[in-house]
Amino acid sequence: MKNAVLSVGAEFPAFAKKAVVSIEKGKEFYDITSEEIKGSGKWMVMFWWPKDFTFVCPTEIAEFNKHYQDFADRDAILIGASTDSEFVHLAWRKDHEDLRGLQFPMLADTSKSLAAELGILEAEEKIAYRATFVVDPNGIVRWTSVYDLSVGRNVKEVLRVMDALQTDELCPCNWQKGEATLNA
Amino acid sequence: MFANNTTQDTAQQVLKVVGISLPEAPAKLQALATTDARYLKDLKINVTNALEAGTLEKKEAYLLGLAVAVNEKIPVLQQGLEQLALAAGATDKEVADVVSCTSLMNANNVYYRFRHFVNKEFYTTAPAGIRMSIMANPVIGKEFFELVSLVVSALNGCEMCVTSHEEALLKHGTGEQRILDAVRLGAVIKSLGVLL
Repeated sequence: MKNAVLSVGAEFPAFAKKAVVSIEKGKEFYDITSEEIKGSGKWMVMFWWPKDFTFVCPTEIAEFNKHYQDFADRDAILIGASTDSEFVHLAWRKDHEDLRGLQFPMLADTSKSLAAELGILEAEEKIAYRATFVVDPNGIVRWTSVYDLSVGRNVKEVLRVMDALQTDELCPCNWQKGEATLNA
Repeated sequence: MFANNTTQDTAQQVLKVVGISLPEAPAKLQALATTDARYLKDLKINVTNALEAGTLEKKEAYLLGLAVAVNEKIPVLQQGLEQLALAAGATDKEVADVVSCTSLMNANNVYYRFRHFVNKEFYTTAPAGIRMSIMANPVIGKEFFELVSLVVSALNGCEMCVTSHEEALLKHGTGEQRILDAVRLGAVIKSLGVLL
């Protein structure tokens, strides 16, 4: 199988998916659409893991959750995703101590259509690699990273990338002679 | 669904990062929180990133911040960062060394800046006449003493002090990235300081 991972400069595909947003009865599920995210005018960070109820995942997901506020400060909507169904997500969240307090939605790509469009499906089991996408407010992919199934991610690296992408230097005292003027 | 948290929280969060816990944010910070100023988030990210710079240990970052608080005369910031430095393993003697170094630099920054400005032989060749014995054997180590000296000198705008301490650091084997991280920390903590 040939994977063509959606990369920098591409438009992030449109989607409408179920997500788990709470473990409180009656408030568990929410329909997330790319339209709503675009309408919010914010950045989006979507990170994928292969399977619920496996070992590396909760550590990594808890780490993303620990930095939830840091993403919010950078005007980014954080979304976790896998190809498990929303019911599996909910069961896992209820089951695992580190996941009960998650602040971001767990997206259920049950049909695997989004993972397929993103080019991050592993050939044999058709589960998602540990991919991370940073998408700007215009819906354009600005950063992609794809790790193999067993490799954990560094959340701080994602934050560093966001700082760099969001252009931290607009001050004219940094202009180099001969450089085009800044259009910010 | 994707609503923001309020900047009220952001104001408290940025205070927490530097060890300050107050029931109400100081007036200028509060004014920004009340008007929902976008800048507050930038400030919080700047302060957090500066304190977490890869080339500075936690203890070093807090001690450098402490030097800024002393230099800018902000007791509440000094107290907060001192507590954080102690919690990160600094000793009372090290804290005292940073405070001493900052005080000494306030003398030197004025004095050497004058020499540099005027640049006449008598002033530059006469003995300094200022005791600097703590420089000989600082508890915080010579390299870190130089780093604190550089940051304070950068804050106080003495060109001669800044260039001399930067060169001294390079001779100690300090990397340029560490020097830049220290100066950024000084600059950013000062930007927080003006709002306290």
